[in-house]
Amino acid sequence: MYRYDTIDKEFVADRANEFREQVGRRLAGEITEEQFKPIRLMNGLYLQLHAYMLRISIPYGTLNAAKLRKLAWIAKTYDRGYGHFTTRTNLQLHWIKLKDAPDILEHLAEVEMHAMQTSGNCIRNITADPYAGATSDELDDPRVWSEAIRQWATLHPEFSFLPRKFKIAVSASAKDRTATRIYDIGLAMRRGRNGELGFEVMVGGGLGRTPYLSHTIREFLPTRRLLSYLEAILRVYNRHGRRDNPWKARIKILVNQLGAEEFARQVEEEWAKSDHELVDLPDIELARIRGHFAKSFETLPARSEAFEAAKAADPEFARWTRHNLHPHKAPGYAIVDVSLKTPGLTPGDASSEQMELVADLAERYSLDEARVNYQQNLILPHVKLEDVPAVWRELKAAGLATPNIDLVTDIIACPGLDYCTLANARAIPIAQQIAERFADDEKAEEIGELKIKISGCINACGHHHVGHIGILGVDKKGEEFYQVTLGGSGAEDAALGTILGPALPYEKVAEAVEQLVEVYLRERKDGERFLDTFRRTGVAPFKEAVYADVH
Amino acid sequence: MPTYIKLTQDGLTTVEDPFTFVADDDQYIPPGDVILSLARFQTDGERLLSEGRAVGVRVTADETVESLAYDLPRLSVVALEFPKFRDGRQYSNGRLLRERYGYEGEVRAVGDVLREQAQFMLRCGIDAFEPADGSTPEAWAHAAGRFRHVYQRAADERVPAFVLRAERQ
Amino acid sequence: MKGLTANRLIDGEVVFWNAGEWVERFADIEMFEDAAAAEAAEAHAKAQPTVVVDPYLMDLVEIDGVWIPVAYRDRLRALGPTNHLQHGKQAEGGKVVETLQHAHTAARSTGRINLIKRK
Repeated sequence: MYRYDTIDKEFVADRANEFREQVGRRLAGEITEEQFKPIRLMNGLYLQLHAYMLRISIPYGTLNAAKLRKLAWIAKTYDRGYGHFTTRTNLQLHWIKLKDAPDILEHLAEVEMHAMQTSGNCIRNITADPYAGATSDELDDPRVWSEAIRQWATLHPEFSFLPRKFKIAVSASAKDRTATRIYDIGLAMRRGRNGELGFEVMVGGGLGRTPYLSHTIREFLPTRRLLSYLEAILRVYNRHGRRDNPWKARIKILVNQLGAEEFARQVEEEWAKSDHELVDLPDIELARIRGHFAKSFETLPARSEAFEAAKAADPEFARWTRHNLHPHKAPGYAIVDVSLKTPGLTPGDASSEQMELVADLAERYSLDEARVNYQQNLILPHVKLEDVPAVWRELKAAGLATPNIDLVTDIIACPGLDYCTLANARAIPIAQQIAERFADDEKAEEIGELKIKISGCINACGHHHVGHIGILGVDKKGEEFYQVTLGGSGAEDAALGTILGPALPYEKVAEAVEQLVEVYLRERKDGERFLDTFRRTGVAPFKEAVYADVH
Repeated sequence: MPTYIKLTQDGLTTVEDPFTFVADDDQYIPPGDVILSLARFQTDGERLLSEGRAVGVRVTADETVESLAYDLPRLSVVALEFPKFRDGRQYSNGRLLRERYGYEGEVRAVGDVLREQAQFMLRCGIDAFEPADGSTPEAWAHAAGRFRHVYQRAADERVPAFVLRAERQ
Repeated sequence: MKGLTANRLIDGEVVFWNAGEWVERFADIEMFEDAAAAEAAEAHAKAQPTVVVDPYLMDLVEIDGVWIPVAYRDRLRALGPTNHLQHGKQAEGGKVVETLQHAHTAARSTGRINLIKRK
């Protein structure tokens, strides 16, 4: 993984010092809360319902043992022994004290981490394929480009006060594991006619009050022109994005108001006027960054007898391997998904002890690497097949071996009204109730791939628009209600969901999901996922089942 | 005479402001050097310049510096107005003035100008400041020099990390 | 009936106003029948920018003989998150906490306008 050099280290140290000074000025009354708020937000510090919340950046979801241990230690020392992994692959600590925040940033800096640009109207943490460097279906390692973007975006002097927040995702596979189409900019690597690599540049995706999938504004951008092209997009947005209304300030609104073609024309015009060489990284720097991500794998047979024997001996282990294991590019290795979705617990939450365990496993079995994905799960990307049984046993002992990746209980949920001041309704208990109804592993497996995503408000941190089943918390006269959408997808077949019908009361949501699943099981044809069945039948049979008793 | 902070050969210092800002509804234009709105400049600028005065233009965040392009060589000051701390449009205007139009006069930040923006402003080619938070030149310099490194090129002379790294190799 | 609440600047703790002091337990909140007195307290609080953040008055409602916030959001602030009952003010238990926990349905959303703009 990328390791800081002296420059990077001094940079985060300077940032921590700056924030310490700013907190001091705030506590001394030298600056008002109104002035301080954008400053603390630029350092990931929110004031939520019960306390401050610190959102720690996990660049493109990549962690190692030292980082995970530090996060565990910070959660134990300054928080309440747990943290929440988010759909933007960051970690949120919910019980932070303002007076501790500068110390925490210093501790983070010790392990080459920070909380910069995890909030505020700036370029946020970059998202990349969580299987980067491990999966066989990638054209290149997207982390190289993500790290290049991360550095370019860090305290960018022109783009730190944008009309609104700005999120960039990078994918290098045909399979989209980062939901690129719902990003302000989605970059999907493609191979050009002569074999060279470039990006399809998609702009203007986003969820929230006005959900849009992005438009492709350039089919092929040579990789080395990435940063200058991003600079052109950001400049057009910074100058012309709306600032009169925060609900209309995202780039998706600008792109859709101008039309994708006109927006693309303006970007191309701006780009043509700029001196690309001044912005784009020289090959030597790209090579330096790339070097950090190089990994060598042992030469192993593709098949591990020990692994096969363990599967044959233990159906529980075998079930887990069916769902939580993915092929690795190196023979004899596997990518292991660590589910943070134990039915009944909080989606995306991990205790300090669990973080420490995953750190140990990463160090012992996964070439010192772990990842976070936007589904709020962890990943051990490079595990030898022969080690998989041992890894599973340790995960199981820590409650981290739920065999449910992409299944009905692998639910995305934002913190919702239990923590967040923006929320209208709780998301976590809804997820818990649904998961408990499908807690039987066999039942969940029988249902197959089904992505449920829950947001506690229209800001859509829980990606509800792109859930196969999406659930949005709304406030009806002070009571929690939930609007259900069907047929969304954040993957390569991206789509926004269709509203099922009138919002349901809190008590009815889990039951309704069960009814939806029953309709699917009744209607499905060979090999169809929930999403496929929905796409074939349309909303009618589902609607009928859920609202039958209303008539 | 009012003062403001300016980047000079001696660093950031307090200097006296010889310019008077003329609001659009002011009937009377005082003698001496003046800063006008873009609209006012378009009607009165020619005449005032021909009188031998130094003239500056104050650009709001809604306005773009492209509309000044042909007049820039004649302007002593371009004042970029920040309506709010969090309104970042003027950073683009600043860079365009310096990098695209090669403007060498004073670029002054006015409006909601806080020391937290000092580094960003300097990097975007702004070299004069009317702080709204009462910052001294020392406080401004401290905030502007907070970071020993930068990661990207902008309108200033700072050398980005990737260049330093390439030189070291 | 109204009560005054805020978050403490230094640690973010939810606090309630009682006769010029900020207290941590909702059960100890001062209740204002008189709007003028409530507003006077709010004005005091707003003049303490280095002590609290975003002070605001919340409406209270009587349920089972206990006065609790009308807004569900304010009830959660007085309790803690429902996914971790051992965290937050609810851990202490007691009659007021129990009333808050069981009073789901009577909630209205007044008062949250003050909070919703917060980040």
